[in-house]
Amino acid sequence: MRKIIEEKDPLEVVGCARGHSYEEFIHNLPRHCNFYPALIQQINKIPEVVLRNSGTPIAKKVNRMMREISKESYRAMQFTRTEINNRGVLFGIVSIKHKVMDRVLNYFHKRWPECIICLYNEHTHKTSTIDEKGIIRKIDSPLKTVVEKASKNRPLIPYFDDIQFSGKEIFETLYSSQFISERENQKYFKKMIPEKCYELPGMRSGIEKRFRNKRINDFI
Amino acid sequence: MPSTLEKIRVLGDASKYDICASTASSRTDKYPKLFGDTKSWIGNTVNAGICHSYTPDGRCMSLFKTLYTNKCIYNCKYCFSHSCKRKMSFTPEEYARTFMKLYSMNVVEGVFISSAVCGSADQTTEEMLEVIRLLRFKYNFGGYVHFKCLPGVSQYLLKEAISLSDRISINTEASTKDFLSEIADQKDFNNDILTRQRWLKQIRIKHNDEALKELRDIEQDNKLRYQEKMIKDRREDGYKKFRWDGAPILNSGQTTQFVVGAAENETDYDLLKRIDWGYREIDLRRAYFSSFIPIEGTPLAGKQAASLEREHRLYQSDWLLRIYHYKLKDLEEVFNEEGNLPKGDPKIHLARVYFKDRNPVDPNQASYRELLLVPGIGPISAKRIINLRARKFVFKRRQDLKSVGVVLKRAEPYLLINGHNQTTLNKYFDIINDKVSQREIV
Repeated sequence: MRKIIEEKDPLEVVGCARGHSYEEFIHNLPRHCNFYPALIQQINKIPEVVLRNSGTPIAKKVNRMMREISKESYRAMQFTRTEINNRGVLFGIVSIKHKVMDRVLNYFHKRWPECIICLYNEHTHKTSTIDEKGIIRKIDSPLKTVVEKASKNRPLIPYFDDIQFSGKEIFETLYSSQFISERENQKYFKKMIPEKCYELPGMRSGIEKRFRNKRINDFI
Repeated sequence: MPSTLEKIRVLGDASKYDICASTASSRTDKYPKLFGDTKSWIGNTVNAGICHSYTPDGRCMSLFKTLYTNKCIYNCKYCFSHSCKRKMSFTPEEYARTFMKLYSMNVVEGVFISSAVCGSADQTTEEMLEVIRLLRFKYNFGGYVHFKCLPGVSQYLLKEAISLSDRISINTEASTKDFLSEIADQKDFNNDILTRQRWLKQIRIKHNDEALKELRDIEQDNKLRYQEKMIKDRREDGYKKFRWDGAPILNSGQTTQFVVGAAENETDYDLLKRIDWGYREIDLRRAYFSSFIPIEGTPLAGKQAASLEREHRLYQSDWLLRIYHYKLKDLEEVFNEEGNLPKGDPKIHLARVYFKDRNPVDPNQASYRELLLVPGIGPISAKRIINLRARKFVFKRRQDLKSVGVVLKRAEPYLLINGHNQTTLNKYFDIINDKVSQREIV
């Protein structure tokens, strides 16, 4: 192993330079909505050091694509708002352009391993689900129908039954109570909150209504 | 009887000055019976944490952060409890249910439970622990818990809190006994705060030792021996060698918070000296600074607020101590006569002092310590430079340095790249001025 590392160009060794390795590109680029198979052949011709440092227009492009993929899945984990019913079915709406639904579903599956997760994608108009065993399915029906079907044969779970009340107002109150007016930082706030989030619980009223962030909207 | 919403409004408002919003925890679910026997847990922790919303002050709001009660026996001069006439408390069940609801909505990542001291520290802590017990054992919550330890709490309660939480913090508030008595004269600095912080360190090491031994017996895994070493390993200066040691219990360690600018004459040096002590003696994970904000109705209402810039400088200096491994002695050179940090980045001030009588450094020859002194080069880029040099790579172009993450804009005045040094803008103006004056003389 050491021999292989020593023979390589130093900047190509993982951990010595920024950016992604070939394997990461090959594994993740097909997730992008604008991916085409010839892209892999094109990047195979570029030396890794150039690829890592966005040295050519193609390298720049693939790095941007990688960034877009990881950003979209991360934003979906951050800003997807969900609900849970007393049968242990967790559901919510996302708007995902790239093929990262599995990442988002797995994120929720890790948190709620005994629940069925249903996420409706506004972009594709399809509902994706993940069950207790981690099996992912894509269903061509609206969210409501899928949730009803999934809940049908499941038993009532007491501690989910315990939290069947509206949390919208609770979050709105908590959110407004945490703001320190002396520390107001509009610039940073504007950068971090997508427009879509103003329609979510807790974001409708208050000081934040003044801002709109167009750049971040694409992620939600 | 106030409603839950009213309680969140009042008690949430009272807890907003607790700055900590981190939910990062590298605790994994591979440790069996961490919180008892259960089939599967709800919730998990994420290494880097996730922010689910931001308040208009730009702060991440990822924790359900409210006080348990605002009824307090203490009379701290800076504290909101003077001004708040409406006294109320949650019930443990109410607190746990509300949190679980918010967690199911994916609007919070974990819980931060803090409280005023109602009756006695033990009595309030017992109730706060009941909340965590409900979360862990009734709702099977396996996610992030930050427990605020009250001053003067008993050791047996601390032990239980440690075994159930990811992070525990005790607010030191001031750097020394005298400064604390100036703003909170009922608290005993040594006994109520420092002793508890020492206990936290001892109990954390002991609990993790036991947990890892038990796990080693089950799994027969040699990697666990390395894990044990990581928890105890220290640098030469006494700081912990690994900040994230992967401990199964109290993974995110203990933290503390200071109120900056509440005590008269408390300097930045005093605060940094205290956190330096904390890193060496009590395995402090990190410190938070909260600029003093005068609250109507408190004895300090007329006092001027501390600047946010001062708070920022303290964070920068803390970063230098903790991440860059600077020593407090190194930082002493940049403090002004009063013992405060001057305006501007402390690292740039330090570089100006260090490079005053020295030549710029050559990235092909400089040691790791020297590279770290250059603004724009952090520990990661310095390590990459050393790593590449070991593989006989020679840095000849600016681009080479840029590609390993060096911020050239800041680093160039202090670097020799291919034998040349980029002159500063001031030097450039000096040359121009000299030429102009020479022409005028001619």
